[in-house]
Amino acid sequence: MEIEGDVDLGTSPDLRRTLFETLVDAPKLALNLAAIRYIDSSGIATLIEVLKDSQRRKKEFVLFGLSPAVQQVFHLTHVMRIFQVFQTEEEALGSA
Amino acid sequence: MPPAAPRLHLKLAMPSDPRYLPVVRGAIGPLAAAMGWDESDCLSITLALDEALANLIRHAYHSRVDGRIELECRENADGLEITLLDNGDAPDRTKICARAVACDQPGGLGTHIIKDVMDTVSYQATPEGNRFVATKRLKKTI
Repeated sequence: MEIEGDVDLGTSPDLRRTLFETLVDAPKLALNLAAIRYIDSSGIATLIEVLKDSQRRKKEFVLFGLSPAVQQVFHLTHVMRIFQVFQTEEEALGSA
Repeated sequence: MPPAAPRLHLKLAMPSDPRYLPVVRGAIGPLAAAMGWDESDCLSITLALDEALANLIRHAYHSRVDGRIELECRENADGLEITLLDNGDAPDRTKICARAVACDQPGGLGTHIIKDVMDTVSYQATPEGNRFVATKRLKKTI
């Protein structure tokens, strides 16, 4: 799944709803963040919520294509270690 | 003695509506770049201001979009001073940076970002409203 634009306080509720709905029917969700120009803590919180929901449902939620700007926010919020993060879609989809 | 050179002083007022956050982000990044910060610092400063505004929208105004927020960005001899003024509820100091860093809880990240990025951060109740002031020094290279 691919998302684009800015993820902030105004847009993260829609992203949250979409990801939760997608996760219901998918055994694994690989989210492409390559086209995300900006993400704030509400966006990071949304991704953490989806990760926790995926774990409850025994499903997989992985991320790939993080731009340097998005990686910087992940590092600032100390959340890189809690996600499975891959560089490419192939790696993300091929992960166990 | 010659008069001091004018320094950048940006003032704006915005509603407590998240739709206007990109407008502020679009101003603060180039402002920080013009003052001399690199791309990474510009993103960090933008994020810190965005988080401070988001906190006011969520906690001072409880996501009401008709609150008023005044923003000032002032260049000084040391760097940048950012001031926010609002008339919503005062911040709950027990919740500022209350979340443990590096845990997997979704909320409470914003105040940690602000504290990590900026050099000084203060919250004051004043007759004009709640005042948030954050400063960041510009490290000069010769």
